[in-house]
Amino acid sequence: MTQYRTVHLPEELCGAAEKLLAGRFENLEALLSFLLQEIVKDDAAKFDRAEEQMIEQRLKDLGYI
Amino acid sequence: MKKRSLVLVTVDCLRADHVGFLGYSRPVTPNLDALAENSAIFSDAIVAGAPTYFSFPGILASRYPLALGRDVLGIAPHEPTLPTVLQDAGYATAAFLAANPYLSRRFGYDQGFDTFHDFLDSEIGREPVSADPAAVGRLSKLNRLMRNAARRNGLATKGYDELYFWYCQWVSARESVPMDKLRRYPAANVMVDQAASWLSTVGEQPFLLWLHLMDPHHPYYPPEESLAALGLPHITARRARMLNSFWNRWDIGPRRFERYRNEIISLYDAGVHWVDKQISRLIGILQRLQRWDETVFVVTADHGEAFLEHGDRYHSPTSLPEYLIRVPLLLRAPGLSARRFSQGPFSLIHLAPTLLEAVGISSPDGFQGRSCWEQISAGNWRGEPAITECIDGCCNPMRPDDRMRPRLMAVRDQELKLVINFSEKRDCLYDLKNDPRECSPLPAGVRTRERAGLFQVAQRHLQTSASAERTDLRLSALLRELQQSAKMTGATTASPMAGEERWASISSGGAQS
Repeated sequence: MTQYRTVHLPEELCGAAEKLLAGRFENLEALLSFLLQEIVKDDAAKFDRAEEQMIEQRLKDLGYI
Repeated sequence: MKKRSLVLVTVDCLRADHVGFLGYSRPVTPNLDALAENSAIFSDAIVAGAPTYFSFPGILASRYPLALGRDVLGIAPHEPTLPTVLQDAGYATAAFLAANPYLSRRFGYDQGFDTFHDFLDSEIGREPVSADPAAVGRLSKLNRLMRNAARRNGLATKGYDELYFWYCQWVSARESVPMDKLRRYPAANVMVDQAASWLSTVGEQPFLLWLHLMDPHHPYYPPEESLAALGLPHITARRARMLNSFWNRWDIGPRRFERYRNEIISLYDAGVHWVDKQISRLIGILQRLQRWDETVFVVTADHGEAFLEHGDRYHSPTSLPEYLIRVPLLLRAPGLSARRFSQGPFSLIHLAPTLLEAVGISSPDGFQGRSCWEQISAGNWRGEPAITECIDGCCNPMRPDDRMRPRLMAVRDQELKLVINFSEKRDCLYDLKNDPRECSPLPAGVRTRERAGLFQVAQRHLQTSASAERTDLRLSALLRELQQSAKMTGATTASPMAGEERWASISSGGAQS
C-alpha cells in the first residue's frame, strides 16, 4: 500500500504555481507528483546503460576486457 | 594590460573543405584565406555534436550535447558558458544570430548576453511567395481529379508527383521574385550592420561579440553579387527557386539529384562567399574603431553539409561523415604566430576554455573541455581523439520521442575514425588516410588494437560525460521546458513542441498514474 508524506511549502509559492498551471492538474499534489515522477523516471539513463553495455561487449569481443 | 576582446563568428553548415585556407580550389573565401595567413588554423576541427542543436552546447558551454541527458536541449539555466563567464568578468556581450530557431531564448542561448537578437521575429523569409491564387484556383479542381485518379496505382502516383512538381515550377516561374525575397534568413550583411551599431556603443569596454551566420544554410538563396563574383550570373533567382525545390524533393531517389548537384553547390558556395565578404567588412569596422589589435577573432562552424556524397542532402543526424563533423577553425589573436595545426583533431569542446585563456580568464569547473591555449601559443599543440555525438535520426528535437532514441557517436583520431551506431548495434572503422570519403569500413579483424583504443575512448566518454554533478543543471533544464510548455498552452500557431505532448499525457491522466 502506498504511504504518503506531508510536506510544508510556502503558501505564496503554492498559490503562484496553481495560478500558472490552472486547469492542467486536479490539484497541487497532482502537479508535484508529476514533477517528481518526471525527475526520477530518467528514461534517458536507460539508453546510456544499454550503450555502455554495447561498448563493453565490443571490448570483450576484441579481447581488451 | 588592456583586456582582450573576443569575436566569435559561427557559420551554419560551413564545411571544412569549402574554404580556401583548407584547400578548396574555388575562390570562395579570399578574405578568410588572407586572414588565415596571420592566424592559427586547424586542419581537423571536429564538432562535439551535429547538427546545430547538438553542436552548440559544445561550442558555448564546453559540454557534450547529451551530458545532461538526451531529453535536455540547449543550454541549461545557470549553466556556465563562454558568454556568462565573460559577462561576469565585466565584458560587454552581444549576440546577433541569423534566425536559427534552435539558437534562441527558449533554449537558453541568451544567457550571458547584455544584447541578444535572434531575428526570429524578423519579417525576412516570412512573406508569402506564391503564385497568382486565381490561376492556381482554376487548376486546382483538375489537379484534384488527376491526383485521385493517380493514387489508384503506384506508377501513376509517381507520374502524378512528377507532373505536379513541374506544374508548380511552371506556375512559380511566371512571377519574378528577387533572391533577397526568397531568402529565409537575414543575410550576413544584416548581422554585420547590427554588430557595427552595437560596437559603436561599447566604448573602451572589453567585449564579446557572437555572430551566427546562416547564408550557406538551405534553402540556398545567396546574394546575386556573390553569384556574379563567382562567375555564376546565369543562376538567376528563378533558377535558384527551381533548384531548391527540386533538391527538397522526397519522392525521388538520390540518382536524380545528381543532375543539379553542381548548381546546388554553386549556390552554397556563393553563400559562403557572402559570409567571407561580410567578415572582411566586420574586420574593417573593428579596425576603424581601433579595436582590432586587441581582439581575439575566431571563425568556425556548427556542422557541415551533405551534397549526395552518400546519397544524402542537408545535415540530418543519421550519420556522422567527415563533411558533417569536420569544420573550419581559424583563430587569430594578438601576438599569436600563424600556424597550421594538422597533428590530429581539435575538438570544439575545447574551444570555449581555450578562448577564455586567450583573453586571460580562467574557465569554470563545469567545462568538459580544457584550454589548449598554452600549446597553441607555443606551437606544440597535438590533437587527441575527438568525440562527436547525437541522437540517431533526431531531425525534430522539439518532439520528445525524437530525442529518446539511441545515440550515434564518432570517435575521430588523426587517421582512423570509429562510428558507433547504437540503434543498429553496429560499428564501422574507417581509415581516413586511404579512404577519406569513408566508402569502405575496415574489416572486423583489421587494426584491432587501434579499434579497441577508440572503443576505450568511447567508453570513458560514456562513463564520465553524464556526471551526477550535473543533475541540478539537468533538472533546471527539464523544468524550464515544462514551464515554457505551460506558457505555450493554447497557442494555436505553435509547431509541435516537447512540452505539448507531455501536457497531453497529463490531461489523459498521466499525472495521477
